[in-house]
Amino acid sequence: MKTASLIELENISKTYPGSLVPAVDDLSLAIPLNARFGLLGPNGAGKTTTINILCGLLQYDNGHIRINGMSLERKYRKIRRMIGLVPQDIALYESLTARENLRFIGEMYGLKGKALRHRINESLEKVGLTQHAGKAVKAFSGGMKRRINLVAGILHEPEILILDEPTSGVDVQSRSLILQLLFELNEKGTTIIYTSHYLEEAEELCNHIAIIDAGQVIIKGETAGIITGHPGCNDLESVFLHLTGRKLRD
Amino acid sequence: MQKLKTSIIKELLVLTRDVAGLAILFIMPVVLIFVMALIQDTTFRKMDETRLTVLFIDEDRSDVGAAIERGLLDSEMISLEKTWNGKPLDQETLISLVAGGQYQFGIIIPEGLTGKINLKAGYFVDKALEDPDYPVAEPPEEFSPLIIYFDPVISHSYRESIRGALGKLTYGIESRMIFDLFAQKVSELLDVEDVMIYDPEGIIGIKEMSVRNRHTEVIPNSVQHNVPAWAVFAIFFILIPLTGNIIRERNTGSMLRIRLMPGSYWVTIMAKILVYLLISVIQFVLMLMVGVFLLPLLGLPVLELGGQIPAILLMVVATGLAATGYGLALGSIAGTHEQAASFGSVSVIILAAIGGIWVPVFAMPPMMQKISVISPLNWGLEGFYAIFLRGGGIMDVLPWVALLITFCLLSMLVAFYFLNKRKN
Repeated sequence: MKTASLIELENISKTYPGSLVPAVDDLSLAIPLNARFGLLGPNGAGKTTTINILCGLLQYDNGHIRINGMSLERKYRKIRRMIGLVPQDIALYESLTARENLRFIGEMYGLKGKALRHRINESLEKVGLTQHAGKAVKAFSGGMKRRINLVAGILHEPEILILDEPTSGVDVQSRSLILQLLFELNEKGTTIIYTSHYLEEAEELCNHIAIIDAGQVIIKGETAGIITGHPGCNDLESVFLHLTGRKLRD
Repeated sequence: MQKLKTSIIKELLVLTRDVAGLAILFIMPVVLIFVMALIQDTTFRKMDETRLTVLFIDEDRSDVGAAIERGLLDSEMISLEKTWNGKPLDQETLISLVAGGQYQFGIIIPEGLTGKINLKAGYFVDKALEDPDYPVAEPPEEFSPLIIYFDPVISHSYRESIRGALGKLTYGIESRMIFDLFAQKVSELLDVEDVMIYDPEGIIGIKEMSVRNRHTEVIPNSVQHNVPAWAVFAIFFILIPLTGNIIRERNTGSMLRIRLMPGSYWVTIMAKILVYLLISVIQFVLMLMVGVFLLPLLGLPVLELGGQIPAILLMVVATGLAATGYGLALGSIAGTHEQAASFGSVSVIILAAIGGIWVPVFAMPPMMQKISVISPLNWGLEGFYAIFLRGGGIMDVLPWVALLITFCLLSMLVAFYFLNKRKN
């Protein structure tokens, strides 16, 4: 039986060893199926920690996580196949070519032969890197690296795609292409969880958001509703500043 | 299996495109072998200044045994060890200590040697002064010779020095006995005293044995030492590219992605171990080829491999596993590649120095000899010594293999602890 929300985080807490302050503090979220969900917050808010917990890459101290009705802890082997991750860093082997990187990732997900070649060619074409498939990733520009980093996360056609600042430091053209690709994936049924400091971009992409600070959820809901629910704020950035303040974060 | 194959191919691609890493793995040790083999004379000359400790068992417990002992001690180059672990040495212990490389020489003076030499000397004298009325008794049967056990790590010339010195000693003692008996008989026949005066200085010239001058000819030992020594060193230096590989994967997020792939994390670690193990084998073969084909071109002796290929392979695998384990541990502990590379390289150089890579352990001061046993590089080197120099097989290298595998397992436990800790 499927739940109303694809992903449910209930009272998740995480304090890193040696730290007195929790990185995530009693955080609860519900992410609907096929949502484009923005997880937003200032530096040190707990976004990356939440993403790593959600991917099963970081142990949490308290709480429960259910994905598609399954406990993350109990059904991790099954769940992680559903997840595609695009980390903040370019998680690729720089000395390998784009095609070699994708072949490695595809084969590790069990793809092989013609099906894998087709997926690689199709993905490279979508992000405009077909002609650069044989070049080492270290020779790529920042935008090209971001695009191939995204392809590496979607090669196995995950049901849930988690992106940690996927457009950080890229040019306008690459950013536009990445966002377009995310819309296309979402239209085909992929639930997208996205973090970024580019709030204009988040407002354009995300139909649901949660703003977190100091490891706690400040607000969550539909993007449009949150903006209209704050009189005097005409966009997501003004809502964000209104809720998190203008104090600089380290 | 497919994932392991994929991971191995990926590791090989990453490694083969790391030019600096390849240089460290293959060119650096070859250069070191050339340089160290060529300057070996200097290194081995230092051995001359080291007092040689010889295991010594006197089963004769009489004049000849005592005279040989005195003669050896008078040489000033030799000290004698007559006990082990507080107990008098026995033959079995002596052989195992020399066979194990802890001592270079062992000498056993057989039981009853004095009496038998006396009998033989008496026979010669009686024969020379034979009286038809008193027929000479039959000569005594052949008796047990004086036995010298030696470690093959010692050069041929050094061995000959010791053997020659002992030969002179025994010859002198034997001559003196004959002279004494002869003098006694002649004195009796002529009814006079002190017919002949024997001058021991003229015959027993133990101070003339000149061990030091002869054992500088240690060229075979230099090749036999330097090739396995720097091969072991090179194998341990794989930790530089290995730690770099682990830390880069962690810091770029690739490891996060790999951990998210079903059943891929441990496969990736296993692939690293297998690939770096393969590199160890290739390195070792390359170093052996240098010893067999290239060093002779410089006028150095050919490296003799012996026929114990399975034992060599076992030692290479054990050494490679120890080095890989150490690399995994460092890669999981260090935060940056700079930390891992600097600590890793310095630690390997120190362990190499302690372990007898630079200067053979038996040429070190006693204190350093005791410390050398803590170095995994020493275990690797001693294992290869056992094969190349002592003709040992699998059974002979098992103690070193066991130590190296234990080190590997402990290092991997440390690695897995820190890898899991990072997950928390």
